[in-house]
Order: sequence, then structure tokens, then C-alpha cells
Amino acid sequence: MTRTLVIQPVSRIEGHAKVTIQLDDAGNVHDTRVNVIELRGFEKFCVGRPVEEMPRITTRICGVCPWSHHLAAGKAVDAVFGVEPPPAGRKLRELCNSIAYMEEHILHFYILAGADFVMGPDADPGVRNVIGIIAKAPDVAKRVVRVRHMAAKMLEMLAGKAIHPDAVVPGGFSKPLVSADRDQLRKMADECLDLAKFSIAFAKENIFPQYLETVKSLGVIETGFLGTVKEDGSLNLYDGKLRLMSKDGSFVDFPYDKYTDYISEHIEPWSYLKFPYDKRAGKFSMDLDNPSGIYRTNTLARINVCDHIDTPLAQAELEEFRKSFGRPAQLTLLYHWARLIELLYNAENAIRLLDDPVITDHETRVKVTPRAARGVGCVEAPRGTLIHDYTTDEKGLLTNVNLIVGTTHNNAPINMSVKQAAKSLIKEGKYDQGILNRVEMAIRAYDPCLSCATHKFDGTLAVRVDIYNAQGELIDSMAN
Amino acid sequence: MGDMQGGSLPAYCTSRVLVLGCGNRLFGDDGFGPAVIEYLTAHYEIPDGVYVMDVGTGVRKLLFTLSVSPELPDTIFVLDAVDKGKAPGEIFEIVLDDIPSEKSEDFSLHLSPSSNLAKELEQRGVRVRVLACQVESVPPSVEVGLSEAVGQAVQRVCEVVARELGLKEPLTLTPGPSPDSGEGRS
Repeated sequence: MTRTLVIQPVSRIEGHAKVTIQLDDAGNVHDTRVNVIELRGFEKFCVGRPVEEMPRITTRICGVCPWSHHLAAGKAVDAVFGVEPPPAGRKLRELCNSIAYMEEHILHFYILAGADFVMGPDADPGVRNVIGIIAKAPDVAKRVVRVRHMAAKMLEMLAGKAIHPDAVVPGGFSKPLVSADRDQLRKMADECLDLAKFSIAFAKENIFPQYLETVKSLGVIETGFLGTVKEDGSLNLYDGKLRLMSKDGSFVDFPYDKYTDYISEHIEPWSYLKFPYDKRAGKFSMDLDNPSGIYRTNTLARINVCDHIDTPLAQAELEEFRKSFGRPAQLTLLYHWARLIELLYNAENAIRLLDDPVITDHETRVKVTPRAARGVGCVEAPRGTLIHDYTTDEKGLLTNVNLIVGTTHNNAPINMSVKQAAKSLIKEGKYDQGILNRVEMAIRAYDPCLSCATHKFDGTLAVRVDIYNAQGELIDSMAN
Repeated sequence: MGDMQGGSLPAYCTSRVLVLGCGNRLFGDDGFGPAVIEYLTAHYEIPDGVYVMDVGTGVRKLLFTLSVSPELPDTIFVLDAVDKGKAPGEIFEIVLDDIPSEKSEDFSLHLSPSSNLAKELEQRGVRVRVLACQVESVPPSVEVGLSEAVGQAVQRVCEVVARELGLKEPLTLTPGPSPDSGEGRS
């Protein structure tokens, strides 16, 4: 008899997904699928609209990562108009990106994923949450809370709005940074750096050693990686060229408006979300033993593809990381470690930008004129490479829009990691709450943002496991 | 208040009253909450200490920041679209305690956790009032615009909020707002 376990949705990730685990006659894992909800119809909705509206409209896609969409859209619009923002405008954009990253990475490490590590994957779901963390590690929680508030305040000072930023405008940034604000932001950035330094030291001492065996075994797959680097090969999250690395570490670099030359999209009948893959492989396969064309994005990918990091503390961490795990590092849970290296980089980068006298220049934007053109904007969103691709007519009205979001790049590897995790953890039909949470941990490592359309307030969704037999009858059910 | 709090907290933590419109304008009646904020800011004088925000799909971010903030509003109004099988456009209050307890332990910052975070805020002495509107339909793909029934409910719920907050309706109406003008007005 074949049984099917359904975990729906995965809690503590942004949005929700349905994990289906199909068991064979012996009760071992036959197959797994991660179904995600996708924002549908957005591209079509945009066609016919003035392209300059895109930086504002795209923040409506999702309240989780509005800055990334805001910045990618701004860059795509610049490309359509054929302009480059003045240096201050560019630096202000990059500064906002680094601060938004810090806010997100702190949230993810300490709250979304941290609960797995601080409380332990076998802890009662009722305490495996932010309140549980605060109770177990109150001093750490206090620092986290303080700096997270600070990052939110910094973005408010720079951009005015907390949820739907509109400071990125075609040709630059809407307002200059005055010196008094710069000085205040600089002090706040120092505190962010302190927390970043504390976080990686804390994790290396208290968390990663404790879970090293889990890190070495859970959700492990071998893939290529995609990320952004500057011309000199150093890590950059706002601008540069794309680097697509094969699992043997060889890579190809290309400008991001050439992404269609290197990336194809595979379709599976059971998923609305497409499966991008490396075109050079010739075919797409999620076979765990012999995958083809699969690459990953997000923190671990970026840490793998860069040759070095141009800020000293993050570079030192990168060297230590590579000494332990090589390049490219493949262990899925290392996404968390890589996330902390990026946290450090962003704190250092924010300070570097704020120390640059250019950032308070009054000229932050250039004028733009509509024209018929194609423009591609790309940034590294916390959750992966984010591509906005627009085409306009001579009046500047959109005729075509294509978005590839970070989580979409990771669709295939998430599916593979879940399959690997489930196969190794569910044997002869035996499973419990801890095992199922470990399957979820494999997904959470990717920090996926799976739904941009739902936000329900009334508790209508929760984690649920349904077990069906081969005839489709519900034979067991458990709530998370 | 400690040394960091006052100047280092976002404005929504330090306001006396917070009014949050939740929902995605891109999905039909799900845009109810943002539409309420747009109407409120266009038709009422918002006094100091009252912070009105269209939070779109980002409410969890705010509630999370609030739930661990050293300073908190006295009252938070949450305006949201829900599907409870009632008549389209019907306004009703969701009592946080009525949300099934077996679901309250779930912790994801995007979906149901919002209710858990709101419960945490209540335990810290904040009065949280969730005013919901029954949707007629939420389309599966992007489609902007409220149904007639939900559109008519916007003004009604604004009158409820205005009465509770003692808001004055200005004699001359301000010009129509731009799509994003509702956020962060106080």
C-alpha cells in the first residue's frame, strides 16, 4: 500500500507550501513534492502601464521583501530609460539594500530558523517560536530586538516609509541624505556591526558545533550556484555581473540582461512555479543521484560564487568558512552560516557607504525620457537573485514584463533537499513530530518566500499532516 | 524609556493609536484594508498620536517589531478582509480569543502568526481590535478593484473607526489620494 503524508503549510517560512511525502509498500519514501503558491497574473497586470510606476507597484507584490523588488524595478526602469543614477543616488540605494538585508537576516537567523537551533528541532511546537527564544536566551533576544528596531528606524529615516518604500525613483533616489541624519545613521550602523560580530561568534560557539551532524546530513544535495559579483569577483548584493557556477566549481560570468542565454525554465505538471535550470547542462533533472542543470541561489550561493569579500571582517569569516567546507560548499544547512557572513558584510558595507562623503551630495537623481526599449534590473534579494525584465513602447508604456524571483531559482533544489531529508529520516513508515520538523528545516534553510498573495489574520491555516492510502482515503492526521 | 528607545524606534511603536489596513490591493476584495486607510486619510483629520498605515501584506513585520518593542501603542485597530461565509460587505469584529487555540501555536510571520503576535500584544496591555469585512471574492490571479459590496463597506467601517477615535471630519475634503498616500500618515 502506498501512503502519502501531506505537511501543509510549512510554518515559519514566508508564505506557505504544501509538502507531500509519498511512501511505498515498505513505508519508505517513494517520492516527495513541495508545492508552492505563486503570485499569478502580475506580469499581465503590468502591461500597458507607464514603466516609471514599476518601482512603486512591485512593492505591493509582497510585504516581506519590498525593498528588493523596489530596487530591482528601479534598476530595470533606469535601463529602459538608458540612464545611470548619480553616485549619491546609487549609494543611497545600496545603503538601503544593506540595511534591509540586515533587518531580514537578523529576523531569519534568530527567529525563523533560530527557533530550530536554539530550542532544538524536537522541542514542542508551542515553544519553538520567538517567545520561546526570548525565554531561553533573554540577553541575546534583547540585543536582537534592539538592533532590529534600529534597522527599521534607519530605513524610515532614509526612505520615509516602513512597508511600501517609494524612495527609489527612475534615475536615482528621491531625496538627498543630510549630514545630521548621516551622523545619526552612522552611530546606528555601528550598533548593527556589533550585533553582526556577536551573532557569528555566538553561532560558531553555541549553535553550529551542537548541530554539526545535522548540518552534515540534512537536506544535502550537490548542485551549481548563481549569484552576483563585481568585476573583480568580489561579493556584491546590489550590482555587478551574474556568475553561474557548476558543482565542480567552474563558472561562467555574464551581464544580467543576458540571463536568458544561460537560464531556461522547466515546467512540471504538478507545480505552478517554474523550475529554472542551467541551460548549458542540456537537460533538467532532479534525480538525487544524477541531477542535471540544478543550481541554487540565496546566501550560500553568493558566498560560493564570490572570489572574495571586500570588507575585512566578512573576508576573514569567508576564509575560515572555506577552510572548513571548501568551495563550493554544498551542505544545505550552511545557508545559515553564510547568512551570518552576509550580515557582517552588510553591516561593514553600510558603514563604508555612510563614511563616503559622496553619500550626502545633493544630486541624487537624473531626468529621464520615455522611449521604446528593453531594460533588465537585477539585485541579490535576501532570498536569491531577483530579475526584473521590462520592455516598453515609445511612450514608455510596458509591453512585456518578466520577473524571476529568488525562491523560483531555488524551486528545484528545495524539492531535492526535502526528498533527501525525507528519505533519510522516514524509514519503514516511522516518523514523529521531530522528523517532520527536520523536513521543514531543510526548506527553511533556503529562506523561501512562497506566497505573495495571502496574509490572513484569523488563523485559518496551520501545519497539518494528512496521511492517505493508495486509494486516496485519509487514514491519519496530525497537526503541527 | 532607556537611552536607545525614543529616537531609535519606528514611529508606529511610539504612537498612541495605530490603525493598520491589511491586504493586497492586487487581489480584488483583499484590498479592503488598504482602501480603508486611503479613505480615512482622505476624509478625516488624523490627529497627533494616531498613526494610520496601509501595511499591505507586511503586517507581520510590524506586529513582530511591535511585539518586542519597549514602547507600545495603547490601541491597535486592524482592518482586514476575511472569508467567513457571511454576507459580502458585512463588517464584524474578530475576537482574538475566538481563534482556535490549536492553531495559535503555529508561528510563521506571514500568515496566521499575525494573530499570535496580536495576542502577545494584548497580553502586554495593548487593546487590539480586529475589524473584518466579508469578501465577495478574491481572484486567483492579479485583479485590482473591490466588489461593490466591499467597496460600500469601506465608508461604513471608517465611520466606526472615526467614532471610536473621536476623529473630526473636515469641512472641505482633501483631493483624492495617490495609490500609496495612505501609509504612515499621522
